[in-house]
This record gives sequence, structure tokens and C-alpha cells, in this order.
Amino acid sequence: MRFRIYRFDPEKDRKPYFADYELEPHPSDRKVLDALTRLKEQDDSIAYRRSCREGVCGSDAMNINGRNMLACITPLEGLREPVTLAPLPGFPVIRDLVVDMTQFFAHYHATQPWLQNGEPPPERERLQSPAEREKLDGLYECILCACCSGFCPSYWWNPDKFLGPAALLQAERFVADSRDRAGAERLEALDDVYKLYRCRTIMNCTEVCPKGLSPARAIERIKLALLRRSA
Amino acid sequence: MRIFSGQQAFVLQRLSALVLLAFTAAAALRLGFGAPVSLEQWQAWAAQPAAAALLLLLAAALLVHAWVGTRDVVLDYVHPLLLRLSILSLVGVALALLGAWTAFVLVTHAL
Repeated sequence: MRFRIYRFDPEKDRKPYFADYELEPHPSDRKVLDALTRLKEQDDSIAYRRSCREGVCGSDAMNINGRNMLACITPLEGLREPVTLAPLPGFPVIRDLVVDMTQFFAHYHATQPWLQNGEPPPERERLQSPAEREKLDGLYECILCACCSGFCPSYWWNPDKFLGPAALLQAERFVADSRDRAGAERLEALDDVYKLYRCRTIMNCTEVCPKGLSPARAIERIKLALLRRSA
Repeated sequence: MRIFSGQQAFVLQRLSALVLLAFTAAAALRLGFGAPVSLEQWQAWAAQPAAAALLLLLAAALLVHAWVGTRDVVLDYVHPLLLRLSILSLVGVALALLGAWTAFVLVTHAL
């Protein structure tokens, strides 16, 4: 198989370039990450992140043939050649396929992604009805791989101000939680022309989410909650 | 609703879109299935106060929609503050003049 890999080492290269590689995949190589691991045996200077190798940690998010995906769960079979691997678009590149996630996680932290409830804790746990619990489906599964934010034009244009689909999905996860008591403060903090309303419902986030989630729907729910609050 | 929160623009964009959608559907039905009408007949129709009010609503929706859309594009792409203010001012003045002229034509025609 033929591969084209984005290469950039700020200590050596003046500007990024694409390097071509040939690889005869081993019969057991099924995913892009398997191929990357073999390519690194050829050229150990290739830099990329990976950890769990099974689509849970979100470390190996990258742009594969123009689409943000997790290398560990993207099958090699059927990929157009040369398979082009590039870092997540819109993110500052540290080296090769490794991007700087500082801003991304700063936005995530800004949403205060933890349960806030000042009421005295019950003896066992804070209970939810099945219907209340169901509201969290499609929200709690996010692995923060950044495939969505890295495919969102609104995030490319204002990465420092727009929270991006991943952080907003996490925000909705706590706004929608019946056990949380900070919903009003959370909505107040989100009610901002940049933080939330830069979303133009382009829906690239929903299109590329490797977990099949819909950040676009979560963002619409936040907007509707704000509307109900204003009404 | 805070004026600069973004929600006002979000709501106005959707409300104006509904007006534009309704008008587009009505216009398509009228032009597609109605009998042909001469310019004088259109002018006579627009001169009725109710029709003029409808057209004023359409013009207002169009201008609001154009303003919010342009503002969004400028907020996304134009980051230098002075350039951003200049473009928004120019667009705002142009749309306001267009609205005033439309209102003048419709009101004077209808009276």
C-alpha cells in the first residue's frame, strides 16, 4: 500500500511537507494504526499519538484521506491510495501527526465538566429515573478525541473563542443531568456570541464523530434551553 | 435576552427566515399557478395598504436576515477590529438606506 504522511519537525524543517511510503501490510494488519506502527519500523522519526488501540482513548485522531478519524478503528481495506495521513486540521502541529491540544482542553475545562450539586449527599447515591438517565445517552460517550472540533469550520475560524463541538457536547451533558444544580449558571456562561453562537449547524461534527454522537444536536439543545430561559 | 449574547441574532435569523420562506412559497405558487398579471396590476396590488404592509414585512425580514448573515461572516473571518467595524458600519448603513428607500416607495405608493 502507498501512504503519504504529513511531516514536520520544527527543529529541522522550515515548512511542512508530505513524505511518500510503501508498505506491504502483514495479513494481521487491519487498521490504519497497524500500518502506522509498521511504517514507524521503517522510519522511526514518524511521530503520532496512540494508546488504547481500540477506539476508547481518542489519542490517535488524525485526518485520513481528508476525513478526521481514529487510526485504530479505521480499516485499511477500502482506503483510496495513497492513503494520506495528516494532523487534525486547525490544530497547531507539534510534530508530524501530533497536535497541540492545549486550547481544546482549555475549552473543555471552561465548561466545568463535573457534577455540581451543593445539596447534602444522600446515603447511597443521587438517584435518577430511567427517563432522566436516558437524556444523557449520546452525551456521556464522548472520548474527547477532537475529531469533531478539528473538522468544524467555525472552530478553525475562531479556535480561541468558540468552544467547539466537543466542549459544547460536554456542556450539554451536564446541563441535561437531572442531578446537577448549576444548570442556570452553566447556561449563563454559554450565552455568548462566540462561545456558543459561532456554531452554524454545519454538522461536520456529527458527520465525523467516530463514536456516532451528534454534537450538533447537543448544541441545538443548549440553544433551545437558552431560548426557554429567555421566554 | 442579552442584546450582545448572540441569542438575539440567532432568533432574528430564524424568524426572518420563516417570513422569507413563507413569502417564497406564496410567490412560487402565485407565479407558477396563477394567471399572468401585468405590471399595472402588480402596482395596483402593491398600492393596497395590506399588500404594502406585507411587502414592508418582507423587506424588513430580508434586511434583518442579510444583516445577521453578513455580521456572522464578518465575525468569523474579519478579525482586525478596525476593519471589522468599518465593514459592519458600511453594511449597516447600506442596508438601512435600502430599507428606508423601500419603505418610502411602498408607503408613498400606497397612500
